Amino acid sequence: MPDLWEIFLVFARLGLISFGGTNVAELERALVLHHGWIDARTLASGFALGQLMPGPNMLAVTHYGYAAAGPSGALAATLGFYGPTALLSAAAALLWQRHSAHPWALALRNALLPFGGGVMLAGALVLARTSVTSWPAALLTAAAFLLLWRTRVNSAAVVLGAAAVGALLGL
Amino acid sequence: MTSTAPATPPEATPAPARPTPLSLARMFVGVALSGIGGGLPAHTRRALTSRGWMTEEAFAETFTLAQLTPGPNAVNLAAMVGARLAGGLGALASVLGVLTPGLLAMVAASALTLEQPGGLPAALQSALRGAACAALAVLLTAALPVVRVGWRVRGGPTVTLAAFLALGVLRLDLLPVLLVLVGAGLLIHRPGGRHA
Repeated sequence: MPDLWEIFLVFARLGLISFGGTNVAELERALVLHHGWIDARTLASGFALGQLMPGPNMLAVTHYGYAAAGPSGALAATLGFYGPTALLSAAAALLWQRHSAHPWALALRNALLPFGGGVMLAGALVLARTSVTSWPAALLTAAAFLLLWRTRVNSAAVVLGAAAVGALLGL
Repeated sequence: MTSTAPATPPEATPAPARPTPLSLARMFVGVALSGIGGGLPAHTRRALTSRGWMTEEAFAETFTLAQLTPGPNAVNLAAMVGARLAGGLGALASVLGVLTPGLLAMVAASALTLEQPGGLPAALQSALRGAACAALAVLLTAALPVVRVGWRVRGGPTVTLAAFLALGVLRLDLLPVLLVLVGAGLLIHRPGGRHA
């Protein structure tokens, strides 16, 4: 079993290199390919569970930490993932109040935004490789996407609905 | 959030009331509980403005900034709001408030799904596979607005596609890709360079 400090550090790194949201591609590289703490199936199901939890939807990291080392692993992963970036954010908020008009601040923003978009698309591709393995799964994904994109329905409701469909179809 | 608006934030308007760290923690527990299925920033905005703790303008600026810092946006937003309204302790209280309900729920869910001897029943496994398909759709709907905003930045489409190919298809290590692509972006947008 990996030690807790190592879990903390790995998740701290993952938090600090997620831009514009989540970085599923790098999560998979680190947790599945490099450390072997979880498998691809756990990655996908943990991500799904994260959508159902109250609060930030990257609580999937808590699930991954649990899979790696039980409840204390869950805590180490959560603190590692959210702690350092929250600290950085609080500091940035205070700095930004003074320096937001600086030209380099704008340049950094323009450099990070398109990069963040690519990171998120890469993460979607990685999840799709595990989740979309059959025609029914592809149809279910497409239906969920249309529902979320076109209507204002709550995403937890869509995830629960898809779970029911999955159980009925025996995906 | 627009792609081109230069940062000309209004001077931080003093909030009408100064919340304590404890009241911030309580507010963010409520935000987390109402945020099942996402939409945390929207719930945060409503909670803050209805209490008169932050103006719309101050919230919009803080929200944009939270998108730019690395890490999970909703928690960064809580840290920033807490820091602005009540300093370091406020940031700590806000982050703990927004994380705790989900942390407890997820530990319980993990214990249920991961510690079954002999694995999960087949029906539950199928249900999780179905949920994973929908979760992928959630990720896509979250990604598209980000892609759209980045697309409008000069050189944006190239950087977005290059990041997608390097990380998603070639599975390269993130740090070198980040250095190269964000470095290129900084070069394109360096102050004093050609303006679009």
